[in-house]
Amino acid sequence: MAVRITVHYLCCIFLLFLLISAPFVASAPQTSGSVEVVVHLSVNIRHLSRNSLRAIFGMRLRAWQDGSPIRVFVLPDDAPLHNLFAKEKLNIFPYQLRSAWDRLIFSGTGQAPFLVSSEEEMRVRVATTPGAIGYLKRVNIDDSIQILHVHVE
Amino acid sequence: MFMLNRLIILIGSLSRVVMLLTGLHPSWINAAERPDLKGLQVHGFLSQGYIKTTATRNDVFGDSTRGRGSFDFREIGVNASYRPLTNLQFSGQLLSRQTGEDSKGGIRIDYGFVDYTAITTETKEVGVRLGRTKNPFGFYNETRDVPFTRPSILLPQSIYFDRARNLALASDGIQLYGESRSDWGDVTLQFVTGFPQVDDKSTEAAILRKNQSGDLTPRLSYLGRLIYERDGGRLRLAISGAQVNVGYDPAAKDRLSSGSIEFFPLIFSAQYNAEHWSITSEYALRHIEMKNFHPLVDKSFTGESFYFQGIYRFSPAWEAVLRYDVLFTDRKDRDGSEWHVKTGFPSDSRFAKDLTVGLRWNITPAIMLRGEYHRVNGTAWLSTLDNPDPAFTDRHWNLFAAQVSYRF
Repeated sequence: MAVRITVHYLCCIFLLFLLISAPFVASAPQTSGSVEVVVHLSVNIRHLSRNSLRAIFGMRLRAWQDGSPIRVFVLPDDAPLHNLFAKEKLNIFPYQLRSAWDRLIFSGTGQAPFLVSSEEEMRVRVATTPGAIGYLKRVNIDDSIQILHVHVE
Repeated sequence: MFMLNRLIILIGSLSRVVMLLTGLHPSWINAAERPDLKGLQVHGFLSQGYIKTTATRNDVFGDSTRGRGSFDFREIGVNASYRPLTNLQFSGQLLSRQTGEDSKGGIRIDYGFVDYTAITTETKEVGVRLGRTKNPFGFYNETRDVPFTRPSILLPQSIYFDRARNLALASDGIQLYGESRSDWGDVTLQFVTGFPQVDDKSTEAAILRKNQSGDLTPRLSYLGRLIYERDGGRLRLAISGAQVNVGYDPAAKDRLSSGSIEFFPLIFSAQYNAEHWSITSEYALRHIEMKNFHPLVDKSFTGESFYFQGIYRFSPAWEAVLRYDVLFTDRKDRDGSEWHVKTGFPSDSRFAKDLTVGLRWNITPAIMLRGEYHRVNGTAWLSTLDNPDPAFTDRHWNLFAAQVSYRF
C-alpha cells in the first residue's frame, strides 16, 4: 500500500515536470542584439557557447582555456541591463543567478561575482582587469574592450 | 533583561569577528569599489524573527504561545573565502542561531574546508573538499540557515526538521565532487564520508525523546547527492541518500546501554523555474534503526515526508509562497493510533500536515521582509525541548511568523 503511494507520487511528479518543461523546449531563444558580452583585450577567444557562458556567470567555470582566472563583473540584481543580459544571453532569469550564487557563497563552495554600480564602471573595470568578463549595451562599447560572440546551439 | 544582555554579548563577539576579518582586508566592505583580485571575499547575513502560535499550547522557537509571541529567533552568519588559485579555495563560516530551546545562540563553525579542483575543463570538473562541509541534501540543506536562500521563514519541516537539524547539517571528513556540463544538461555528483555533529542536547532530544544522561557519539557516515539541471536550472532534479551512524555513550548510572542509531534518509527532489513562478516538490523516506539501547527504546521504522510548493513573483520585489507539507513519523502507522496504544503518547505526535501561505518583500537586494501563516494538523515536528510534555500539546494549531533579514 505504502509502496504504491510512493510510486504514484513519483510518477505524478515526473509527468507534471515533463508536461511543463515541454513547451519550453519548443520556444526559440530571442536575440535583439542590444546587449553584448564583453571581455578584456587579453582574452584571446572570440566565440563561446551559451553553456560555457552560463557556467562562467554561474561562477562554476573559473579559468579561461589558457588557465588564467576568469573575473566576472555584474550590475546589481535589479538593474534593467542585468535582467536583459540574463534573459537574452544566458536564457535564464536574474533570480536564478542570485540563488545559484547564494548557494555557492553560503556553502563555501564558490565565490560571488564582482559587483559594479554602473555601465561606465563596468566598461572601465572590464577594460582594466586581465581576464575580465561583463556585459554592456552595444552603444557603450569602445576599443578598450572586445565583444565575445555567444553561440546558441 | 537577561536575554538582552546575551544579545549584546553575542553582537559584541560577532562584531569582533567581523572587525578581525575586515582588519585582514579592509576593502571587502566595498567590494564594488575595489574588487579584490587576489580572491578574498567576505559575506554574511543577519536576521530577526518573530513567531506567534495561536489557539494552542504548542511552542515553536521559544515561548511563542504567550501574549506577545516569541522573538527568540535570530540567525547571524559571517563567512570568508579565499581563492589563491583558480582551482583552490579556502572557505569558512561562523554561525550563531537562536531558536528557542533547541539552539541557544552560541557561535559555531558552520563549515570550514579546503576545496581543491583536481581536474577542470570547459565542460567538466572533479575535485575534493577536506574539512567540515555542509551536507548536500535535498535542495535547501546546505544554506538552510540563510534566510535569503529559503522559500519561506520556516523550511518545510517534514524534510528539513529544525529539531534534529544537526544530524543532517554538516560532516567532518572528505567530500568528493564531479560536475559535467553539456547541451543535454548539467550533472553534479557529490559524495561525503565523514562524522555528523551530534554533540548537542537538541539532537539527543529529537532522537531519544529528551536529553539523556549519556552522550551521543558521531560515527563514520556516508552521504551522496546527484543533481541534474537543464537549461541553466529551469528544470532541476535531484536524488539524495545517506547512511548516518550515531552511537550512544551511556552515563555511569543509565537506563540505556551503549546503543546505536542508523538513519537512512532518501530524498527525491524536483523543481521547475519559470520567469514569474517556480514549483518545487520533494519526497523523502527515512528509515531509522535503533539497536541495543533498551528493549523498550529499540525500534525500527520508516518515516515518510513530502511537500508541494509554489512560488509566484509579482515583481522582482514581491513574491508569494503556497505550500502543503506532510510528515508521517512511521508510514505504517500514519495516524499514530498504534503509537498511542503502545506508549500512551498522543497519536497526533506522529504526523503533521502543514498548509503555509507567505509573502516576501525584497525592500532592497540586501534587505528582506517576510511574513507567513501556517495552519497545522499534528505535532510531529514540534521541538520536544520547547514542548517537554507531549500531553500538553494541541493537534490543530496556527503559527504566524515574520522575519527581517539583511545580507552583505
